[in-house]
Amino acid sequence: MEKKENDKVPFFRSWNHWYFFVIGFLVLLIIAFYSITNYFS
Amino acid sequence: MTGLDWGVIGVLLTGIILYGLYKSRTTKNLEGYFLSNRSMPWWLVLLSIMGTQASAITFLSGPGQAFSDGMRFVQYYFGLPIAMVIICITFVPIYNRLKVYTAYEYLQNRFDNKTRTLTSFLFLLQRGLSTGISIYAPSIILSSLFGWDIFWTNIIMGGFLIIYTVSGGARAVAYTQQLQLAIIFAAMFLAGYMVVQMLPEGVGFFDALQVSGKLGKMNVITTGTTEGSFDWKDKYNIWSGVIGGFFLALSYFGTDQSQVGRYLTAQNNRESRLGLLMNGLVKVPMQFFILLVGVLIFAFYQFNGAPLSFNSRLLDNSRTMAVKDSVNMLSRNIDSVNVLKQDKVGSFTAALQSGDKAGEEKLSVELVDLQKTTDGYRRQFRDMTKRETGEDANDTNYVFLAFVKDHLPAGLKGLLIAIIFLAAWGSIAAALNSLASSSVVDFHRRVTDTGTPGNEYRLSRLHTLGWGVFCILVAQFASQIGNSLIEAVNILGSLFYGVILGIFLVAFYLKKVGGTATFVAALMVQLFLVVMFFQDWFAAKTGLEELKALPDVSFLWLNAIGALGVMLIARLLQVFKR
Repeated sequence: MEKKENDKVPFFRSWNHWYFFVIGFLVLLIIAFYSITNYFS
Repeated sequence: MTGLDWGVIGVLLTGIILYGLYKSRTTKNLEGYFLSNRSMPWWLVLLSIMGTQASAITFLSGPGQAFSDGMRFVQYYFGLPIAMVIICITFVPIYNRLKVYTAYEYLQNRFDNKTRTLTSFLFLLQRGLSTGISIYAPSIILSSLFGWDIFWTNIIMGGFLIIYTVSGGARAVAYTQQLQLAIIFAAMFLAGYMVVQMLPEGVGFFDALQVSGKLGKMNVITTGTTEGSFDWKDKYNIWSGVIGGFFLALSYFGTDQSQVGRYLTAQNNRESRLGLLMNGLVKVPMQFFILLVGVLIFAFYQFNGAPLSFNSRLLDNSRTMAVKDSVNMLSRNIDSVNVLKQDKVGSFTAALQSGDKAGEEKLSVELVDLQKTTDGYRRQFRDMTKRETGEDANDTNYVFLAFVKDHLPAGLKGLLIAIIFLAAWGSIAAALNSLASSSVVDFHRRVTDTGTPGNEYRLSRLHTLGWGVFCILVAQFASQIGNSLIEAVNILGSLFYGVILGIFLVAFYLKKVGGTATFVAALMVQLFLVVMFFQDWFAAKTGLEELKALPDVSFLWLNAIGALGVMLIARLLQVFKR
């Protein structure tokens, strides 16, 4: 069954924005984890 | 275990089987059975990817890992979001454009028959054995803690899911995974809530984190440096997580059919990408939460006294061994230190709440000393019983279920035991589906005429059933061998993943390199990795002491070495070929 390709990128203007968002979120998490480590040590 | 617990387990497991059968209706051909007619929306792809990766051991070992080694295990997943991005850019468009059933089909288009056969063979070998072990590993823990018969536990863990996996293929796998994950997360959240509720009067969530933090369990980020230099044998640190974890995730999600088969079920590139990217967003926080439950359990045991070993069967058996006097002495010692610790941890939280900085500082030093003493007793017990039985006496995987068994109320106990089965079923079902798709598409269909789509559909169901039986047999065989086999299979996986990834990276990025150069490079690197990892054994067997000069690294680095090694050698071989 052939499905029609939907090229519209959801939520962002392009897939590159998505990729930056995912990597940016990872960086934010690492910074938050670093702060947690320092706070509780 | 009460009747209520058994009732909860029975209702949930039966419900999942019936739901799987209800969702089993699919087109009777290969595309319908293995790829659900490429019809899935992104959110089902996401849940299927997560349900495939999160096995029973994820939920058993995660909290235990945090209990014994702290939160730093979360770093193991730091490379995953980066891998998701690379897969979306490179792997997904190619797989979807070629309309492949398996990832290995692409290698025939790009290289040749032999490279496809080698790669799919490595996958079948590694995934077949590791699925068997993923049945056995949670079964042995459940049977040890609850006294269940290992044979029947293996059958329930690996057998019942075959009913809906054979019947409904990828569609039934995805829909059941969705329900399984919802139940698992609700239960884990409830478990975390209950731990906080069971802390002593006046001690809250934040105090529990402070206690665990002072005892080194809130070590979310570590650098892997000891005495100023990087320790390559250190398993979990930010560098091994980002770099080694990236290669591992790239290999697992990009080339392992059990994952590729999930996002090939998506309607189109957009839905595949969205499912994978969402996985990149939620996976690290999800693991953080699972580990946090372990840290809370650690804090709980500071107020209630942790046993010498959470593997209660091993502890009981050790009291009948030659070392029983030493075990009894260690038990008495840990009990008396636990009493002291409970007193100190109470005073510590009081100092914390009253803002007494000096008292807090003094008590935290005393607590660290007491923790070192109890860790020492637990280590002595492990060494002693390992010497006696030859079995791995590490109780990390037992911590969570021992807590559930000993401290949670009836009903909730049943719910948390049920989620171990559900998590196992989710990942095993996807593995069986992918093993069958690879053995049918990459081998059976190429060797004989499989006939009409209807015949291929029936053949695929038979292959799924066959792999299900094979994996249960591996689990039963593992029961005879013991924990040493689990370790061997885990190492086997790490040894293969890097090479498989290397083959795919050559295919995607080194356009001038052909099949023969890649094939030979893959064999050479595979041999090198095996010799490097087992260098002591090879040195002893061959008398070549020089082998011991090879790098001795933690398993996470094997993926990076394997992948980069195949790329480099394949490129060099191609140059010499000209």
